[in-house]
Amino acid sequence: MPSFSGGVVGGGVGGPASAPPRPFRPSRYVPVSAAITFLVGSTTLFFCFTCPWLSEYISGVIPIYIAVIFLFTLANFCMATFMDPGVFPRAEEDEDKEDDFRAPLYKTVEIRSIQVRMKWCSTCRFYRPPRCSHCSVCDNCVEDFDHHCPWVNNCIGRRNYRYFFLFLLSLTTHIMDVFGFGLVYVLHHRQQLDTPHAAVTMAVMCVAGLFFVPVAGLTGFHIVLVARGRTTNEQVTGKFRGGVNPFTKGCWRNISHVLCSPLAPRYMGRWWNRQTVEVQPPFLRPSLTEAQLEAKVLDNGIQNDRHSSRSKSSLDQMESQSADIEPPPPPKPDFRYPGLPRADTEASSLLSEAPPTPSMYKYRPAYSSPGRNHTGVTHPNKMTRGESLDSPSPSILQSSRQPSYRSEPSSLDGATVVGRGVGVRRGGGDRGEGPGGPGGMAGVVSGGVSGYSLAGRSYTSYPSSLVLSTGGSRSSSLRSAQTVHNPLATLQSEGTTDTSYKSLANQTPRNGSLSYDSLLTPSESPEFESAAHELSPQKPHVPFLSTAGGGRPGVAPPGGPLQGYTSPFLSAQIAQQREGQLLQGSTTFSSPHRAYLRAVSPPPSSSPGAPEARHLLHHNQDLTSRIPRNPSSSSSSPGARSLDPPVSPPPRGLSLTKSPVHIGETGSQHKPRPVGAGAVLGGGGVGGGQQAPQSTSRPALANHTTSKPVGGVKKVTGVGGTTYEISV
Amino acid sequence: MAETHSLQDLQQPAVSSKVFVQRDYSSGTICKFQTKFPSELESRMDKQQFEETMQTLNNLYAEAEKLGGKSYLEGCLACLTAYTIFLCMETHYEKVLKKIAKYIKDQNEKIYAPRGLLLTDPIERGLRVVEITIFEDRNIGSGR
Repeated sequence: MPSFSGGVVGGGVGGPASAPPRPFRPSRYVPVSAAITFLVGSTTLFFCFTCPWLSEYISGVIPIYIAVIFLFTLANFCMATFMDPGVFPRAEEDEDKEDDFRAPLYKTVEIRSIQVRMKWCSTCRFYRPPRCSHCSVCDNCVEDFDHHCPWVNNCIGRRNYRYFFLFLLSLTTHIMDVFGFGLVYVLHHRQQLDTPHAAVTMAVMCVAGLFFVPVAGLTGFHIVLVARGRTTNEQVTGKFRGGVNPFTKGCWRNISHVLCSPLAPRYMGRWWNRQTVEVQPPFLRPSLTEAQLEAKVLDNGIQNDRHSSRSKSSLDQMESQSADIEPPPPPKPDFRYPGLPRADTEASSLLSEAPPTPSMYKYRPAYSSPGRNHTGVTHPNKMTRGESLDSPSPSILQSSRQPSYRSEPSSLDGATVVGRGVGVRRGGGDRGEGPGGPGGMAGVVSGGVSGYSLAGRSYTSYPSSLVLSTGGSRSSSLRSAQTVHNPLATLQSEGTTDTSYKSLANQTPRNGSLSYDSLLTPSESPEFESAAHELSPQKPHVPFLSTAGGGRPGVAPPGGPLQGYTSPFLSAQIAQQREGQLLQGSTTFSSPHRAYLRAVSPPPSSSPGAPEARHLLHHNQDLTSRIPRNPSSSSSSPGARSLDPPVSPPPRGLSLTKSPVHIGETGSQHKPRPVGAGAVLGGGGVGGGQQAPQSTSRPALANHTTSKPVGGVKKVTGVGGTTYEISV
Repeated sequence: MAETHSLQDLQQPAVSSKVFVQRDYSSGTICKFQTKFPSELESRMDKQQFEETMQTLNNLYAEAEKLGGKSYLEGCLACLTAYTIFLCMETHYEKVLKKIAKYIKDQNEKIYAPRGLLLTDPIERGLRVVEITIFEDRNIGSGR
């Protein structure tokens, strides 16, 4: 009994289901076939062998009654099997542009003053409505998803839950009837049990008795669910355990909703009514009020606010609370509508969501974007915003290259702020803003000052760790020609693929190890550790690569936590190297990397923490920016910064010397390509080769597995299984 | 009398952008869309018009999902006929959906198309969003 999503029964025109073709798996049909066999077979036998006697000696109504119940059971079984449970069609490409790669993995809505999280479905490309879940068997998002029932080989969702429930009820009744009347027959034929009729009746009774226990149990379970207004999915995952169920309307109303509500419409296979309305210019325009005209003139700030309010309203809350840390599902970058101030929208909307607490950075390390949005190379939309920052940005870049990194914290803060706005929306919740921000804005941000003005908001209290992340991303941004990818964004985009999400979700610790605290004490965080592992100078050339190969080694690097904190960003950057970008990015990568290595080579006695991290970051930047200069002008960190050239092996020196060149390149490249908020998120160094250094930061963060180095080219597998090659 | 039309006039104007009006889940999972006026449309149409459209749509969907006597009778009838009634009869929801489609078409013709906008029936998106397509405002005769 194949189940297809197009509802055969259920009225309405039906076209073929538009779900992608799935491989034919005969094993899926075994339970269904068994169920049908038992049901129909047993009842037929019952009718043939037992009912004649029953109708003759007990009552003629009995077979009719049993037949009615049986037909009812069969009808509900067919409806549950063949009816479309409420499959959502895949979102079209246009739609997910709105929630781009910087969008958070979760979106929160308030239902009757209870916060409910909507998760981004990377397969279907939309935020799952409340109570919707993605069925892995059917590979569809189903509305009001209850469960996938193997006995009917179909998902049970909004549209067919009633039939499933009635099927259970009627089947229980039917089983009881068959068993009961069979028992009556057997009791009356105790002396003739060897006749075939009795034997068959007893066999049917056995089957009925065997199935009665699980079926009755399931029926009772669903009666409770219906009374409580919960789905199996919610019950089993314990969503409302100890909490309030926002979907319940009271016992009676819940029951009536299940049994009496109108049959929901099918979403799949509808014959779309193509718009036949002709739209031709000239178009009418409403008369603009003075305020509106003024707003137009002022452009950036006000427009941003408007956009931010728009996106806020349209997306309810983009905050995600989440204990879950899951890879973000970045959609493709916004190509389609160039020239649109979407960067404004995104950035402003993101900016408007000033993270209230450091927990926004929670998921930063987890983000590694396989570069979905790395087409951020040419993000025309993002460019808009970036362009607006263009004027200050070159100066910023220049200033950033100067040795005055210490002054950067302020700028970094600014960058952070802006970047956050720009940054990460998707990617596991809160983290969105923090990490994304710094990275993205690093290049663009005019020392945060413009960022502030641009955002129109005051980002005041950013913990120093933000600087840290910003710094890291900044250095990467300097290297990357075009888009500044904050590590977070990189992570996000890397996490796009389903496998990566799932794998990340599986691997991501739920104990909040990716929390802000973990930024401060990165050694505790697996992601950090793995990243740190990568950066640990165990092997001179490709420390990160070798270690990264292990996936998520929980081993703290010898450097200790000191390395850990930096690793997410740096190793992510490194990890994001792509083939095309290897050559360019590699040296630049290696330089900061080596800087770190050198920095960490002395035993990290100092306690890991944000200050260390920051120092190290600054140090790194110092190194990268000042390669030609005396690298001994280390940053302020007291600890382990031995920039002594003798420490570094020749290749390092080579890379170091090269780094300024690259920086210069990237710097210059920055100009024509203002980072733009959007670009930051590109993560994964999508697009241009120059981005590689930047983008690699993300994927390396979480779950890298490095492949074998190839003659000076290291392959790093970022999150989601994307492999990047980094030339050493 | 033959009128000459430039190619631009005859072709559908280019799509400038799309606005997606999301669902309003504040009252639960009933089908309801946000009535907040999106900022992208500020320059293209009146706020009140838009809100009126959305409110009417919400009312229509509420009518479709209403748990009333009609839906109950429909359910009973379906049960009694072993759901074969669905082969010949249209469900209540489907009827209202047709009404909604007609209303949207009507609104498009009267209000939205003259302003270079186009509403898309949310059923095409699984009742998740209302998509509003914004067309480029191109003056007749101007270069492409």
